[in-house]
Amino acid sequence: MENARMKFYCDESRCIECDGCTIACAEAHELPVGIARRKVITIHEGIPGKEVSTSVACMHCTDAPCEQVCPVDCFYIREDGVVLHDKNKCIGCGYCLYACPFGAPQFPREGIFGSKGAMDKCTMCAGGPLTTNSHHEFELYGQNRIAEGKVPVCAAMCSTKALLVGDAESVSNVIRARVTARGGKGVNSSYGWDKAYKNQ
Amino acid sequence: MTNSFGDIQNAKSIFIIGCNPAVNHPVGFGHILKAKERNNAKIIVIDPRFTKSAAKADYFAQIRPGTDIPFVYGMLHIIFKNGWEDKKYIEDRVYGMDEIRAEAAKWTPQVVADVTGVSAETLIEITTIYAKNSPGTLLWAMGLTQHTVGTGNTRIAPILQMALGYMGKAGGGTNILRGHDNVQGATDMGCLSDTLPGYYGLVEGSWKYYARMWGVEYDYIKSHFKDASWMGKPGFTLARWWAGVLAGKPGEDAIENAGTNLKALVVMGCGITSTSQNLKIQQGLDNLELLVIADPFVNEAAILTNRKDNLFILPSATQFESSGTVSATNRSAQWRYKVVEPLYESKADQDIMFELAKRLGFYEEYTRSMMMHLKSDGYLEMTPGKKTFQWPEDATIEISRTLRTIGMMGWTPERIKKHTDNWHMFDEITGAGKGEMKGEYYGLPWPCWSVKHGGTPNLYNVDVPISEGGMGFRNNFGLEKDGVSLLAGQGSAPVNSKVDGGYPEITKENIEKLIGRTLSASEKDLCGANWKTCTSGKLVDLALEAGLTPYGNAKARAVVWTFPDRIPLHREPLYSSRPDLVEKYPTYADKANHFRVTTKYASIQKEKDYTKEFPIIMTTGRLVTMMGAGLENRASKYICALTPEMFCDIHPDLASQHGIKNGQMMWVHSPAGTKIKVKAKYSHTVLPHMVFLPFHFGGYMQGVDMTGNFPAGTKPYASGECANTVVSYGYDIMTQIPASKAGLCRVEKA
Repeated sequence: MENARMKFYCDESRCIECDGCTIACAEAHELPVGIARRKVITIHEGIPGKEVSTSVACMHCTDAPCEQVCPVDCFYIREDGVVLHDKNKCIGCGYCLYACPFGAPQFPREGIFGSKGAMDKCTMCAGGPLTTNSHHEFELYGQNRIAEGKVPVCAAMCSTKALLVGDAESVSNVIRARVTARGGKGVNSSYGWDKAYKNQ
Repeated sequence: MTNSFGDIQNAKSIFIIGCNPAVNHPVGFGHILKAKERNNAKIIVIDPRFTKSAAKADYFAQIRPGTDIPFVYGMLHIIFKNGWEDKKYIEDRVYGMDEIRAEAAKWTPQVVADVTGVSAETLIEITTIYAKNSPGTLLWAMGLTQHTVGTGNTRIAPILQMALGYMGKAGGGTNILRGHDNVQGATDMGCLSDTLPGYYGLVEGSWKYYARMWGVEYDYIKSHFKDASWMGKPGFTLARWWAGVLAGKPGEDAIENAGTNLKALVVMGCGITSTSQNLKIQQGLDNLELLVIADPFVNEAAILTNRKDNLFILPSATQFESSGTVSATNRSAQWRYKVVEPLYESKADQDIMFELAKRLGFYEEYTRSMMMHLKSDGYLEMTPGKKTFQWPEDATIEISRTLRTIGMMGWTPERIKKHTDNWHMFDEITGAGKGEMKGEYYGLPWPCWSVKHGGTPNLYNVDVPISEGGMGFRNNFGLEKDGVSLLAGQGSAPVNSKVDGGYPEITKENIEKLIGRTLSASEKDLCGANWKTCTSGKLVDLALEAGLTPYGNAKARAVVWTFPDRIPLHREPLYSSRPDLVEKYPTYADKANHFRVTTKYASIQKEKDYTKEFPIIMTTGRLVTMMGAGLENRASKYICALTPEMFCDIHPDLASQHGIKNGQMMWVHSPAGTKIKVKAKYSHTVLPHMVFLPFHFGGYMQGVDMTGNFPAGTKPYASGECANTVVSYGYDIMTQIPASKAGLCRVEKA
């Protein structure tokens, strides 16, 4: 049996930019203000037929570019596909930020010159390398909800259930059912062939 | 709300006018998105702005603020012209549709286009889609109500539903979205100045009923009034309490308040600094003799005022530190359990009120009924041995035995707790219970006629029996008008009804005839004069047994012969953006003694053409991150990181005309002479001749930072100008709600 691979997916036909995911994440992990592990992005705001909102965080890539460029090898990928890193190894160089297609890595900005410090990013609520659910783990990485059998807080809080998380197959089953119900096309359907290639 | 959020999933078309549920009801909006997935429901949004709801719509019309009535008449014009109306429904269940038809005839698509700014093609397309995708549900909120014609707006919307036969159907109805947790409950409890709890009117009979149900003498209640005549007069409203303070000063409106001004104000959990005419609110606060504020966070009324004395801030508890029922927007109840005891020195609202009542000397009288119980004859007696009451359960019992007009008789604490504890046993869409909860709807949406009744999920639905939540329209306005019966037509009673047509509300007098049997003497003894005051419940029980709605089965009326507008009529806003239309669609004459305050209409509208100095349309609304005056939200650092400061949505074309860059500060000036300094935010959600302001900020007044008035450690993370400082004069003709949505302004670079 293959291991489940955990994935995020944001159904942009349902995302309404309520920012519930952003706030839930910040509150749950008690992040410093200015660290946005998850953000909601709206493009073409106010343009009929074109406005789209979607929630973005670390996508926990299968072949994670951050891991490949890290000079101190602080990243590690769990068997379920969750991409994590060791803040005690991280030197705050920012290479991962340049490599990441989603702008996920965050750097603390305290101090007058905005010192970088260790990188922070979405852990899919799976904590870090320290003892699971220890105080120390919480301080550096936030809650470890996965270890407690809970859904990551952003998706749990999503008001319209646009943001899905789980093993890739379950997520795609949910999305497939929604896309089929919507007739498989139109402005608010997911990215399929017609959107990606304009029906060419 | 006639139906519920869940029921929206049954709709085939969803007509959203004057509300923005994607922002104001994000969780509820999920049901709308699901309707689109389940039913391919067509989403139609009518709004002056391209809102987040509009971004998810199939059809969108960008309407000029304040022209909802013409838009809907335009739809009715097309519906009647094509014969798309539900003729049988109108014949059997609606009074006065002919007058609507005559008015609609005037609103051709071309006339509507001129008045509303929406093209004839768009109007026709939207009307066709809405009429052809049955059933359609209609949603609104403050975008319809906050106008001088707000009452007309809230009448024309159900009239549209009535014309199409969409009222009283699963997937149909008018779903009016309540803006806050428990607003529905607050209204039901009579937090209004013109009703007693449960919408009992301010008449002697109602007062006497309440005296009986509170276990006090009528004369005792009367002794607290200047004289009995004041028991029948509406009080001031939230919108204009300050007029009661300022009356007598130059330029202020006259009041009729027994020869005295308002002297003291107690504010409990209300963001009074964000209603309208904020400068007047500040002056009102400054001129009181006493101001008491009770809130979990420091209410900005305390910050806005310049007063130095007789201002008291009481820390009240949050919802997590208290318990009791909370009513959802669909008239259903949940039990809210206390999570923690009130923190620090804060007290729950009821404890603050109990202490106040003790000091004022009527605590004993008005809490006594919580130590009483109903005898089988419907009269109260002291419960033997009961020395104290159990809060809040005894209050809930008092509510359920007293608020009969809206059918709260089934709302016992035990039942509501059981629903809340077993919420997973109910269907997401219909609210129907499963297993042990079978036969009941989640939260027992009122009317819940008795302790055995399961609640009414969709109002006015005659397709199901009363026992499963069926009902007709209420018989509330007499039996006939001008020779036409006001009772429903033959064959339009809820199924399994003893009477298959219209009938009046149930009284001791008519009950035998309606149920078709003679009552025994002992049964008769238990009957009160009518079902609303028959506290033994006998009349309601007899009605339910016969499948009859206790309040009768009548026609809905499209014509209200006691209102200034018999049918909804378009009237331009006081500060009209189309002065050329004012003569044809003038506002009302000035109204004396409107909730005790003389209220200006025509005298403002006729004064001048305001568009010369104030050419830009201004509207206000909510942000997804905040609600109300924003006191709680601005105490969250994470929310403030997302919306850190007050801003104005302005179209780049308009901004560039005034040399305002994105992110620069700008002034917004109102015709009332007030101004606010805010940050410009370029946005395409507004048209180039209008601006949008969110109303959640406070702490600044016309460029002056007042946040130094916050007690140490209580200042929110974000402060700013309040949009309502530049919202001008204007109040609804019936309810006095402020007209905040269709204003005018002038902008300049700061």
